[in-house]
Amino acid sequence: MTAFLIRRALSALPTLFGISVIAFLILGLLPSDPLLSWSPGAAAPSAEAMARARDALGPEPGPVARYADWGLGVLRGDLGRSRRDGRPVAEVIGEALPFTLVLNLCAVMAIYGLALPFGLLGAVRPASMTDRLGRWTLLALYTVPSFAAALVLQQIFAIRLRLLPLHGVSGPETLAGLAALADRLRHLVLPAACLALSGWAYVARYARAAFREALGQGFLAAARARGLSRRRALLHLAANTAVPLLTLLNAVIPGLAGGSVLVEQIFSWPGVGRLYLAAIEGRDTPVLLGLTLLSGTLVLAAQVAVDLLYAVAEPRLRATLIETPADVV
Amino acid sequence: MSSESRPGYLLPAAIIAGLFLAGLLAPVLATERPLVAVIGGRLVLPAFAGLPLVGPLFDADRARGIDWTSPPAEARVVLRAPVPFSDRGVRLDESLRPPDRRHPFGTDALGRDLLARCVHGARVSLLVGFGAGALALLVGCALGAIAGLRGGGVDLAIVRLTDVLSCFPAFILALAFVAAWGRPGLPPLVAGIVLSRWTGSARLVRGETLKRRGGDLWVAARATGAAGPRLFLRHLLPLLAAPLSVVAVFGVAQAIILESGLSFAGLGVEPPTPSWGAILAEALPGSGAAWWPIAFPAASLFIVLGALCVAAERLESAWRSSAAR
Repeated sequence: MTAFLIRRALSALPTLFGISVIAFLILGLLPSDPLLSWSPGAAAPSAEAMARARDALGPEPGPVARYADWGLGVLRGDLGRSRRDGRPVAEVIGEALPFTLVLNLCAVMAIYGLALPFGLLGAVRPASMTDRLGRWTLLALYTVPSFAAALVLQQIFAIRLRLLPLHGVSGPETLAGLAALADRLRHLVLPAACLALSGWAYVARYARAAFREALGQGFLAAARARGLSRRRALLHLAANTAVPLLTLLNAVIPGLAGGSVLVEQIFSWPGVGRLYLAAIEGRDTPVLLGLTLLSGTLVLAAQVAVDLLYAVAEPRLRATLIETPADVV
Repeated sequence: MSSESRPGYLLPAAIIAGLFLAGLLAPVLATERPLVAVIGGRLVLPAFAGLPLVGPLFDADRARGIDWTSPPAEARVVLRAPVPFSDRGVRLDESLRPPDRRHPFGTDALGRDLLARCVHGARVSLLVGFGAGALALLVGCALGAIAGLRGGGVDLAIVRLTDVLSCFPAFILALAFVAAWGRPGLPPLVAGIVLSRWTGSARLVRGETLKRRGGDLWVAARATGAAGPRLFLRHLLPLLAAPLSVVAVFGVAQAIILESGLSFAGLGVEPPTPSWGAILAEALPGSGAAWWPIAFPAASLFIVLGALCVAAERLESAWRSSAAR
């Protein structure tokens, strides 16, 4: 088991290297002139001063040298410094990351918490009114862009109905204890719901299909024959069927991470998504590079984690997972 | 599988085709220039002059330079355009008018007619969506086929590249690419979408190529002398048409989502050219005061994407049931 875990984790290393190369190819090769980004806001230095500074700095290193320089820094945990305020990029990202992680974790929980019962309900009573209505809803939600959903839901629930806060992470500072917690949760509802919409539709569709297939295989009748109540038999069935649905996370997580960028912007959520847009606007390449690398790395880490979880939950599959290379899994 | 329990092709196809046509003809459908007018006793067609390619045919010297919002005495409007406003006609005195008979979708903060902007927005959103979606499919098929047919080092390189690229969230990859380009505009927009969207079809084509290699059909095709591109195009691609069409339709939906997102972030087409995402971005600051600048472009997006999704789903179930038979 341990050997499998280690092998799966190691097999991600080449991909990780590839992620850093692609991120650097896209962003690191920007025609960046360090002299022009020297002191933002100050008066432009004279041509003579620029030439002198250029002589002092020496020739610009080539792309490979720059990549090596940056990559070695990343390995040491040094992502460079932000061009905006000169703080270490790792520190800037570190401040924003917890907000994004909380938001996405809530979205993942909402996706599975709602999709599994929904799928089961549809599978138990196929072609019923709820099932048919549900299938139409899912189809409609499947391709809803999260940012457009965010604008519409914000308009309905925050601006018109005033049920939920418009944006931000928390209300007034005076709240304490349970009230503060409830306030924070209320701020989470809308952004998490917008992010979760299309993932929910995706997982629920698969859940319904998987449950229907399992129901057709006679497990339910067997469990009932052994004296289990229908409810308990269904729960057993659901638990077993739900495990493979974990792998759908591989497709859900990149969507969530991409969607967070605009959803965070709309709800003024101080996470890495908003930081990303701010970095684009400020042409803050070190931060952009760090965040792009981080997004790829987190998605890869999530993929590995899903594989590992799956292997733990489903011992039968361990053998096949070991034999097939990572890109097929 | 009974066909009546599932949504059909016809409605989604009609919706998409209708909106596509509306987008293509936007310069004629939504403009302050009249369709037909009489200037000094001669018939002119000023609205058609805005069309690409054929526009110059309708360009009349005397119609040029006329301000049609308040036409001079010698010009008489015979037939107005269906939406008699341009997408750029700023009227600050008509700022944020709610929907009424004059402006069915209302006006935005600059007093521009939102219906006109949504029609012109369909042009950008759908053209970029279909164009980038088709290009991504083409690139994916080509690279997938090369990987599957060549094998060896080429295959490994392409597989690794798709692995690495699919680790990046598509929106972030496209965003990074467009931001790195430096200037907003159509080429970086399309290139960014293609870059982050070709891997799906490449994987499908490569997998199917590998699966069919060595099969009877393959051997027979080889025996007739087919090789390389011909082998792929004539003997493999037709077999993949059904799954690829599903991928293609979903690809267009994804491209439209990416385009609208990038335009919303201010990295799409250059203002004042409207795209649904850009109209939404312009509506955000005033979202507390007016719902219509958000509701109508968002609804346009939802309708197109929903139609594409239903079409893809229908294609998929048709393909699956024919494959099962």
